[in-house]
Amino acid sequence: MRQRADLRFGFLLVFGRELAWLWRRPLLFALVSTVPLVLMAVLMVIFSAGLATRLPIAVLDLDGSNLSRQIIRAVDATPDTAVVQRVAELAEGRRMVLEGRVHGLLMLPRRLEQDVLAGRRAEVVFFYNIQTMTTGNMTLRGVNAAVPAMEGNLRVSLRSAHGEPLPAAQAALQPLPVQVSPLFNPTMNYAHFLLAALLPTVLQILAVTATAYAVGLDVETPHRMRVLRMLGGGLWQALAGKVLPYTLLFITVLGVADAVLFGVLGMPLRGSLGLLLLSGLLFLLACQGIGLVLALYLPMASAISAATLITGPAFGFMGIGFPRIGMNEFAQAWGAILPGTWYLMARVDQTIRGTPLEYSWRPVFVLLGFVLTLASLVVLRLNVLGARRAAVA
Amino acid sequence: MKALLAVFREEMGRIFFLRPVFAVLIVAAGIYALLYPQPYLNEALRRAPIVAVDKDGTTTSRELLRRVAASPDVSIAFLAPDLAAAEAAIWRREAHGILLIPADFERYLLHGRPSPIALYADASYFLIYQRINSGVSTAARDLGTQVEASRLVARGLDPGLALAAADPMPLTAVPLFNPQGGYATYVLPAAFVLILQQTLLIGVGLLGTLPGRQKRAGPVATVLGRLLAYLVFETLVLPFYLVALPYLYGLPRLGGAWPMLALALPFTLAVGGMGMMTATLLRRPLAVQLLLGSIGLPFFFLAGFAWPSEAIPELLRPLTFLVPSTAAIDGFVRALQLGAPLTELKRPLLTLWALALLYGGAAMILEALRPKVASGLAT
Repeated sequence: MRQRADLRFGFLLVFGRELAWLWRRPLLFALVSTVPLVLMAVLMVIFSAGLATRLPIAVLDLDGSNLSRQIIRAVDATPDTAVVQRVAELAEGRRMVLEGRVHGLLMLPRRLEQDVLAGRRAEVVFFYNIQTMTTGNMTLRGVNAAVPAMEGNLRVSLRSAHGEPLPAAQAALQPLPVQVSPLFNPTMNYAHFLLAALLPTVLQILAVTATAYAVGLDVETPHRMRVLRMLGGGLWQALAGKVLPYTLLFITVLGVADAVLFGVLGMPLRGSLGLLLLSGLLFLLACQGIGLVLALYLPMASAISAATLITGPAFGFMGIGFPRIGMNEFAQAWGAILPGTWYLMARVDQTIRGTPLEYSWRPVFVLLGFVLTLASLVVLRLNVLGARRAAVA
Repeated sequence: MKALLAVFREEMGRIFFLRPVFAVLIVAAGIYALLYPQPYLNEALRRAPIVAVDKDGTTTSRELLRRVAASPDVSIAFLAPDLAAAEAAIWRREAHGILLIPADFERYLLHGRPSPIALYADASYFLIYQRINSGVSTAARDLGTQVEASRLVARGLDPGLALAAADPMPLTAVPLFNPQGGYATYVLPAAFVLILQQTLLIGVGLLGTLPGRQKRAGPVATVLGRLLAYLVFETLVLPFYLVALPYLYGLPRLGGAWPMLALALPFTLAVGGMGMMTATLLRRPLAVQLLLGSIGLPFFFLAGFAWPSEAIPELLRPLTFLVPSTAAIDGFVRALQLGAPLTELKRPLLTLWALALLYGGAAMILEALRPKVASGLAT
């Protein structure tokens, strides 16, 4: 019984020492509090609109007819696009695209109205800058919504002009309409898609690097290591006391970010909050585990460099922008060893998807596997270090 | 001038002989060049898996499925007997869409009525959603146009005319500069600029915080001499990132050398100045590494490249230009990928020069204010 009380005492001692330490080290404290909060706040402001609307495009109207003016009005009226500039020739429109002032150029050919009404096919052309892919696709979506709708009206009037009754003409419009329902994110909101994934990514970088740094401070000097172990009264207690203060801080930061996401930016929570929290905790422990392992196996400067190299380019590998099913094998494998990949899966499952529990466990178990594997690596290394020291003594 | 050159020589030496600096400016830059592009190298997402539920089971419904399966965008992972089975595949991430062909699909078509099909596409991953949506819609539209045209032909219309009546005003969308819609072509040119900025920023930050600088000169000569060293260094690294890497990864490029060099000069000066300023403020090499390590990702999304600047709140927009990468990504991408000539790059050029003056000037002031410990010891 007494021994048990000692164990708890040791843990608390190390825990308290770490907190006092944090307070006296502004850099370390900033890394686990203000820096992630500020970076996340900036990202939140960037994506606060959620949707990009009224992206500027230019129009080259070679027809100047009623029909062409109607098309321009329709394109301008879609939420995605705004016609900001009329140009007189193709070269001028091209220049505006090159200057980055518009994202696309809609060209309405000469005799458009005449040809269409006479039953000759006349093409409307939309040139769009897809070098900036998101923006390009969004402007295309706007034009794609407006022009085919106009074409539909035309077909109905063309056919009823040929004596077909109106309902029949309307039915023939789209013999095979596709009713598309976007599952899970019906408004295609970027805050719920990209921002929700970027916030944990920032935290992943900071959790790994800050842990490598905090632990490195102890590992660097053998004396401190001994103090740590003695204070803790055992390996596990010392380790837990060292690491948990940061876990608590990080989970608070993640909680603040998610509170804004759910509360202000309208992110849905369709799954289980408990599972979301559990996977968040395992994710942070896994990140800290990576930081610990790096700090124990490498000198501090190298450990921090390695931490940055692993987590810095991680976002691309986690399959949010470009999905993992489209990646080469190396990228898939590399992504699979990042805790963030699995946490984002669990997050997508529990937030926008609302995945039923029975299908939700895989990413959570993988994260648990990460934590256990990394913990064993840490223990292994600590035992080696301990044995080495014993040999010296 | 002599003092400036002495500072320049010292700084060049430090770049190559200080281990942490070398590790960031050369080793890390090399690793990023290899690692960062990996997720995108397949360029496009092809054959995104969907599940089909064919409640009709007729020749026409199978013809539609055949057309969908033939699309390069989607693949039919399997045919599910009902929606519940299809949904389970979505939950398990084995498929990302459900194509539902209702019973009576063929009968409706034969009767000349619209015969709708339903597509449930996974919008928790936007690129997958787009692929599936465009793949299925294109297949359905093609089949629909054919059905309608054949109806008109059956009514005695000339086939050519029938096609025009079925589709009198087609919209042709012409993607510019990245015609394949490749993801690597999209993201890498901008990401390379950001990596250049971040490695130089951290490198200069380390140079300014690691001990061992000997040469003393006036603040102006000191800052200019160091900037000269960064410029000379970047003549090696910048072309590697912006010319050699795109070539090796097979990214299309239109731009010439002059606009790139014109942008590279103020870009390097601005980032160098910013790095020196940060070094004075952060004071310790570890602080430089730790604080700048996590900042690259937000910088990327500030740039108005991945997320349009028009959608960034107006209040934040002017501040985004304080980071060199915002103007630099805009400038380099338009110069190199779009082939914009210098006359159309005035805005990023002016912004970068303004930042070079701002940060260079700030670095000089901070250098002038710095307590002269070294010289104090010498006297």
